[in-house]
Amino acid sequence: MAATDIGITAEPIDDQRCKFIVSQPVLAGGVRRFSDPAEAKGSPLAEAIFAIPGLTVGELIVSGNIVTVVKQSPAPWQAVGRAVGNAIRTALSADVPAVASAPRPASGDPSAVNDDALYEKVAKVFDEQVNPMVARHGGRVELIDVQDAVVMLRMGGGCQGCGMADVTLRQGIEGMLAQLVPAVRGIVDITDHTSGANPYFQAAKK
Amino acid sequence: MLPTTTYRTAAFVEAARQIGVELTVASEQRSTLEAANPAGLLTLDFQYPERAADFVRTFARQHPIDAVVGVDDDTAVVAAAIAERLKLKGNPLHAATAARDKHQQRELLAEAGVPIPRFALHMLGENPLTIAQATAYPCVLKPLRLSASRGVMRADNIPGFVKAHNRLKAILAEPEAAACGEPAWQFLVEEFIPGYEVALEGLVVNRRLHVLALFDKPDPLDGPFFEETIYVTPSTVPAGLQSAIVQCAERAVRAIGITEGPVHAELRYNERGPWLIELAARPIGGRCSAVLRFGDQKVSLEELILRHALGVPLPSLQRERQAAGVMMIPIPGAGRLQEVRGIAAAKAVPLIQDVQITAHPGERLVPFPEGSRYPGFIFARGEEPRLVEAALRHAHRELTFVMDTA
Repeated sequence: MAATDIGITAEPIDDQRCKFIVSQPVLAGGVRRFSDPAEAKGSPLAEAIFAIPGLTVGELIVSGNIVTVVKQSPAPWQAVGRAVGNAIRTALSADVPAVASAPRPASGDPSAVNDDALYEKVAKVFDEQVNPMVARHGGRVELIDVQDAVVMLRMGGGCQGCGMADVTLRQGIEGMLAQLVPAVRGIVDITDHTSGANPYFQAAKK
Repeated sequence: MLPTTTYRTAAFVEAARQIGVELTVASEQRSTLEAANPAGLLTLDFQYPERAADFVRTFARQHPIDAVVGVDDDTAVVAAAIAERLKLKGNPLHAATAARDKHQQRELLAEAGVPIPRFALHMLGENPLTIAQATAYPCVLKPLRLSASRGVMRADNIPGFVKAHNRLKAILAEPEAAACGEPAWQFLVEEFIPGYEVALEGLVVNRRLHVLALFDKPDPLDGPFFEETIYVTPSTVPAGLQSAIVQCAERAVRAIGITEGPVHAELRYNERGPWLIELAARPIGGRCSAVLRFGDQKVSLEELILRHALGVPLPSLQRERQAAGVMMIPIPGAGRLQEVRGIAAAKAVPLIQDVQITAHPGERLVPFPEGSRYPGFIFARGEEPRLVEAALRHAHRELTFVMDTA
């Protein structure tokens, strides 16, 4: 596909985090998280984003058609967003996969074992506690992956686009995981909240 | 306190994380996860501030509270009640209550000699023709409690008044409006003040008003309805006039008795000087606060508010040097929203920082004055206010709202 045919919508979450929603899959199935340029090696899209001048990337998460960039530099998204978009387009237009599959963990790699174990524990919390609770509002929370003890999740149903999604995430799920799976280091919400067609709570007041 | 209908949840939750403060979020409806985090999630009835304050006093015995912050007109009153009960920093309850009630507010402002439009309080049950015949025109009909200019209408003559009255009566009969009780049975008839409108965002610290931003509202707000569109700061109003506007707001803050926390004021000016139109003891609404950043660290308005409430050191209250603006995207018409086209093109307009569509596919959009929910917001930053305003208008032109009007 030509780079010009690829549509990208930038959705800043805050000054540090921005989601880039791409009109085609970037990484079909699974999720990859990159925390430094060394990890990005072999994934042209990640390499290109880490190499953008003036953009100090702290974390890059790729899942489905969403690329989430967490930056440390003060440059506003207005200034660096276009460069990220160009990097995504260029990588997707090349003949090689934009994002390589996650490397197989070396046998005995303790961190890989921990992520797998954490995944199981977090999935259990989601299945047995979180989802039965949010289902009361027609919502659901899907565990996408755990990488380096960071949980990646996606909200759906009544949670997607809900005005209180951040409260559910930070005051509810984060607190539950801190208590029940304390090894979890953080949570990344990769939900495209603007596409939520049936949010339970909807902002309406000025 | 975050009502489930607020736009500001993410901004306040993020501000608390930035400061590193433990948060208890209180809402009027129960969170599905409340049982899992009883210290962090609380349900309060915002309709009864004293009752809510009693409940929080009991709650605080187990989970101590250092500060309380409301984000809209109703929660500002509940926050004041809780602050009084727990002896925390906050406004006196009577001041927050008066700031919420347009009639009480006007009585206090008039008593203190603050320039405001002439006003009269009426019951909805009165004969509209009788009121109309005794009213000077043009005038504005206003509900006492609704926000975002919902239900506010201009009338230029007796038939126009009667028509506007009928519409207002229907709006105040809607369940959400009727839920506020007695104030939904009354309305204000106010003199229409012609002139240019500005909005002042401020933080009151120990009774002193600090101006955080003065916004121009370049689109005329002459009615018949008063849907807001563009806010741009810094204001291009001449410096001397800006001083007069700020003094007018300061007098209003004193008159109402606001002592601490955020204020948002709407003022007009004309050849007779500045006029106070509204003053609220809360921050700017919608997602508009995203255009405000303060000091070298570009601290958010929400972080300033939380820091002030907590009594931790405040960074600079000086807004960043760049001009900034927001457009509350006008409601494109009545109907169900199918999709919004042109978002990428709107975001690509130079100076545009973001375009946020907050209406969801399938949502029923209701134009003013019955409705008040903007379908989204456009944000811009640039070197000059006029360039920011032009960018907002350009980005808006790129958007197409596809509606099902059947």
